[in-house]
Amino acid sequence: MAYATALAVLADPTRRKVFERLRAGPRPVNALAAGLPVSRPAVSQHLKALKDAGLVEERSEGVRRIYSLKREGLMELRAWLDSFWGDALEAFKLEAEKSHNARGSK
Amino acid sequence: MNDVAVIAPVRKTVRVKAPIAHAFEVFTSGLTRWWPFDHGVGKKPIQKVLMEPRLGGRWLEISEDGTQTSVATITHWEPPHRLVMIWQVNAQWKPDPAMKSEVDVRFAADGPDATRVELLHHKFETMGAEAGASMRKDVDGGWPGLIERFVQEAERSKS
Repeated sequence: MAYATALAVLADPTRRKVFERLRAGPRPVNALAAGLPVSRPAVSQHLKALKDAGLVEERSEGVRRIYSLKREGLMELRAWLDSFWGDALEAFKLEAEKSHNARGSK
Repeated sequence: MNDVAVIAPVRKTVRVKAPIAHAFEVFTSGLTRWWPFDHGVGKKPIQKVLMEPRLGGRWLEISEDGTQTSVATITHWEPPHRLVMIWQVNAQWKPDPAMKSEVDVRFAADGPDATRVELLHHKFETMGAEAGASMRKDVDGGWPGLIERFVQEAERSKS
């Protein structure tokens, strides 16, 4: 499932840093790499992994590539994480109704 | 300064097509049948989640190696209308008996065959302003408060 890939990809701390930097807005690679303790090609690799996981997209602007967060990928991840109690109550509702119906049909 | 700013509660409701007594029973004694196991705080992998259905009873996680972790303790027991639990989980989602945010669950009959369940998680400010805000964000769902949980989950599921 897509969220599982997203989770695995975000488990890398450097990659997470790159990802978090993109939350501030679209950036070219060199701006993302600035201040990180890894080389620019390494940052490009991280961006590729994020892109493959559907979390980041890129576009060309002249000779530069600009990276940004990909809304749909984030939505999916968010939907999975959102609402601890909301999820729990949904699971509860299903079980309560299922067991009630089972009892009624006996 | 001792001023403690109240952190807004998280309120969730659900309507269940089952009578109130049944809904209460499933929520409490039947916890093990519906609780999503990936919502655990204790030792993984979790083998069983259960609730001791009485005043002073615990919400327990039992891991596959038999480790028991207490997640919450019941402080008000009023079947089939209400139960209140002290939520003993800290902002890092680790069990912590010193924590006391509170989960208040009320059941109201909506006709003979349906129940409205309202869950209120509040008193986050008892955890401290920062930790309380983080827990509030986590249980309500939100971004980016859960990033650490992504990470934990990712690391766990990778191994």
